[in-house]
Order: sequence, then structure tokens, then C-alpha cells
Amino acid sequence: MSFFKVTLIRSSIGMPQKKVGVLKALGLRKRMRTVFHKITPATAGQLMKVKELIALSTTDKKLTRREIHEKRQPPCGFVVEKSRFLRSEESPSS
Amino acid sequence: MFGAFRPTNALMGGLLWKIPWRLSRFQKYRQRQRLRRVDRVVETISNALAQQGMVSKAVETWKAEMPTEAEMLPRDKYTIFDKKHKGYRKGIHKLPKWTRVSQRINPIGF
Repeated sequence: MSFFKVTLIRSSIGMPQKKVGVLKALGLRKRMRTVFHKITPATAGQLMKVKELIALSTTDKKLTRREIHEKRQPPCGFVVEKSRFLRSEESPSS
Repeated sequence: MFGAFRPTNALMGGLLWKIPWRLSRFQKYRQRQRLRRVDRVVETISNALAQQGMVSKAVETWKAEMPTEAEMLPRDKYTIFDKKHKGYRKGIHKLPKWTRVSQRINPIGF
């Protein structure tokens, strides 16, 4: 099962009401919002209506909003090798 | 090419605050990038549908009627038809929302 990965990169401000409606139906309310849609002729038609405003690719996996957000996070810059709290759990007697 | 001495309209021609009658080469460059981006979107939709063995009327119509960026003439990329203009052409940047609409073909006979 593969999906269209659609990102709104141009705002719909000042666009005809029909295009705004199509974006709303696709779930694209703000710029840089990414949504996933099944590959069907119906979705293809919707995407064709707003083709100037979106960036498009196909993926096999549908990501949730949280997963997309976590992918965007920069690395924290350190690795916890051993936690103080973990050590106390391993040997509660000490 | 870049930096303080690059030959832009504002630097070569002095004061530039009105909308010029033609696009600068940087505007033309960005216009080509936008055209290509739309081409890529259509290509992606068409390929995805083809893999599933489906067709969409909207995609087929677009592909039949509209030229891609590479197929277009410079005249059509940077100017549009206007019946009120001398020579029937004016800069595409006079078109409202021109960076977000598709304008690729001319009326029949022009």
C-alpha cells in the first residue's frame, strides 16, 4: 500500500474559493503541513487542482504528525551511556 | 555573479521602484523552477497512478494539452497574451498571483 505524501508549500491566501476548499478537504490548513493520502484517481484529481501549491512524493508508510515532528528534531548532541536512575534499579540493595 | 557588484536592474539602471515591463533574469530563473516543480508534481501523480494501473482524467488532459517546461518557448514562459497590449504580449508578472497559477498556452491563433 503506497501513499501520496503531500506538503503545502505555497499559501492559499487570495486563491479562488474552490482551491481553498480542495486544500481544506485534503487536510492542508497551514503551510508546511504534511498529509498522506491513498493513491486513487479521486485524490489525483484533487492534487491536480492545487498542483502549484504543493510538494509531492509517494511513500509506502503513512507517518503520524508526531512521527513527522520527531523526524524534524535535531540530534540532542549527547548520548546517555548509563543513567543514575537505571543503575539504582539494577541493584536496589546498594 | 553574486555580491555587491552583480549586474542587476537596480544597480545598472539606477532607481527601480516601479514594476518593470519585463522580468529580471532572477525572476525568470525562479519562474522556470516553479514551472519545473509543477511538472514534477504531475509526473509523480501520473507515475503513482500508472503503478496501481489507474488513470485520472485530470492528469491525462493536462498531459495532452500542456507543454512541459522544456517544451515551452521562452516567449510563453515569461509573457502572456493580452488583447489590449501592443504586440498582444505582456510580462507574465502582470498576471495576478502569477507565482501560484499555471499559465502555459496561448489562445488559438496567437
